[in-house]
Amino acid sequence: MDALLTGFTDALTPTNLLWALIGVTIGTAVGVLPGIGPALTVALLLPITFRLEPAAALIMFAGIYYGGMYGGSTTSILLNTPGESASVVTALEGNQMARAGRGAAALATAAIGSFVAGTIGTIALTVAAPVVADIAVGFGPPEYVALMAVAFVTVSALLGPSLLKGAASLVIGAAIGLIGIDTLTGQPRLAFGVASLLDGVDVVIVVVALFALGEAFSHVVAGTGGARVEPVRGAAVLSRADFRRSWPAWLRGTALGFPIGSLPAGGAEVPTFLSYGLERRLSKHREEFGHGAIEGVAGPEAANNAAAAGVLVPLLTIGLPTSATAAVLLAAFQSYGIQPGPQLFTESGDLLWALIASLYIGNVLLLVLNLPLIGVWTRLLTIPAHSIYAGVLVFACLGAFAAGGTIADLLILTGLGLVGLLMRQADVPAAPAVVGLILAPLAEQQLRRALALSDGDWTILVSGPLTVSLWIVAVLALAAPWVMSAYRRRLAAAGRAADRETA
Amino acid sequence: MTAETETTPAVRERSRARASAALGLLMIVGAVTVLVDAAGLRRSDDAMGPAAAPVLIGVLLGVIGAGLVFQARGVVRTPPLADGHGRRLWRLAALVGVLVAFALVLPFLGYVVSSAGLFTGAALLLGAPRPARVAAYGWTVAVLAFLVFDRLIGLTLPTGPWGF
Repeated sequence: MDALLTGFTDALTPTNLLWALIGVTIGTAVGVLPGIGPALTVALLLPITFRLEPAAALIMFAGIYYGGMYGGSTTSILLNTPGESASVVTALEGNQMARAGRGAAALATAAIGSFVAGTIGTIALTVAAPVVADIAVGFGPPEYVALMAVAFVTVSALLGPSLLKGAASLVIGAAIGLIGIDTLTGQPRLAFGVASLLDGVDVVIVVVALFALGEAFSHVVAGTGGARVEPVRGAAVLSRADFRRSWPAWLRGTALGFPIGSLPAGGAEVPTFLSYGLERRLSKHREEFGHGAIEGVAGPEAANNAAAAGVLVPLLTIGLPTSATAAVLLAAFQSYGIQPGPQLFTESGDLLWALIASLYIGNVLLLVLNLPLIGVWTRLLTIPAHSIYAGVLVFACLGAFAAGGTIADLLILTGLGLVGLLMRQADVPAAPAVVGLILAPLAEQQLRRALALSDGDWTILVSGPLTVSLWIVAVLALAAPWVMSAYRRRLAAAGRAADRETA
Repeated sequence: MTAETETTPAVRERSRARASAALGLLMIVGAVTVLVDAAGLRRSDDAMGPAAAPVLIGVLLGVIGAGLVFQARGVVRTPPLADGHGRRLWRLAALVGVLVAFALVLPFLGYVVSSAGLFTGAALLLGAPRPARVAAYGWTVAVLAFLVFDRLIGLTLPTGPWGF
């Protein structure tokens, strides 16, 4: 507790508050742009924090992260173009509300729900992370290998339309992760004599290429660069009735989101689906679902934000990123001199608590800033797509150049952007590739350590009860896509049935 | 915003299948590259040498790529896409050209000029009307980005002979 208070005193200086405010503002402004999800927002804005001292960079980055998340939900509600799979459910009811002229209420319940869930999630993170870190100190290489196997399977199974497509994405990322010097023997792999490939391809370049260039390219191919949207009018206010319907949903969404998000498995999307299903079952206004039920926005949005706080538990304590955003966060933390893992709490405790304090502050600022400014953010949506994507390309190239610093990095960016276009057109999700890029080299390293410990005896991988159960979970998770797609079909069928009733 | 011009499910299904097949083929090419590169690595005495992970990933790339091609095989053997598709692919090629040109001229012309060109070229290829106004936006974005990132934040961006 003392440590957290010290964190607050570090974070709460006027300069740092200013950085947090700037972070939240531009995070929201970029996150609001259609097609730009939280992972891309943090990747694009990472260069801004490069030259700040670590504490200031962290607090600004926490602001960008939360701002990007909130901006993403705004776009899903107003335009029905979720920037990431975890806001798909928010868009379901939220866009219906916006079409019925209740967009302001939808945005307000999303903003306050994000705040409630983010705050409770951060408190839970404060309590849970040291405990998990204590447990994780005892993990050896075999446990890490098994944990990563679980993450690989769940990420490919849950983040895409099918296991084959999720796995395709994961393996493409893992192949990019091979590029660079092999840590054990010092030999270059897949570098083809290009100097900038020797330290591997930066995660920022991959995220920006797959998400930003992929999106811009697909607008060129589809010829939709001229599209425009009509903004929603009115301030974001919740009537008393809306509030009464929202708050239980926020709390239930949080209760689902944080624990599931903090599992070392890919699944910020799962709690949003579960929350939607739960709210529909419990609601007294079940007939409104499919036409803009406010519980259907409040619950999933809270679940999404609580899961985003939960994802930080395995990230900070085990060094295991389970979403594309978390993979970028890992790269950012490393650039600030923070190496996530069980030792983090003992080695760089000050910075860590400053980060956690920054999360609380970012959350408060987001609410204070966004409720009055919703009108401004929605005006950003009226910028025509061709200018948005031309601007995104300029900042994408800037980000890639800042991350790598050579012309070769820009050419790699373009090449990977074409792969991103192909993946997008083939309905192959990009998030598993980002996770694979980060996790595959880590998995190789841990596997080698495990085998070095056992003198090459592979049975070390299943030597304890924990590793055996993790491997069983990994195998069971292979069945997850069928369960998920059955669940999605049920949601879709319910939505269609509701449509027919109105027609 | 994603209002597509080709909206019939059959057309979308076909273009998705084509992209799947193309991605699968690309993965097979990648698999061969990874495996050839792995074969050229010096062995070590460790239980898991430097080639073990590339071989595993190479095989997976090949198998999953083949799976994508196999899944898409029926739909691809259908008549070519409607008019307009070819022209858009040319636009895509032009945009890739703009990005490559940006990378190549950046060290010589500096950040501001190159980025203004990138913005203008990309916006026009994405369908922006009124080239003069787009170019003005491009200069504004480039100058602002340079001021914020180079002067204010301290990232060293390349400059041309004129100092920006």
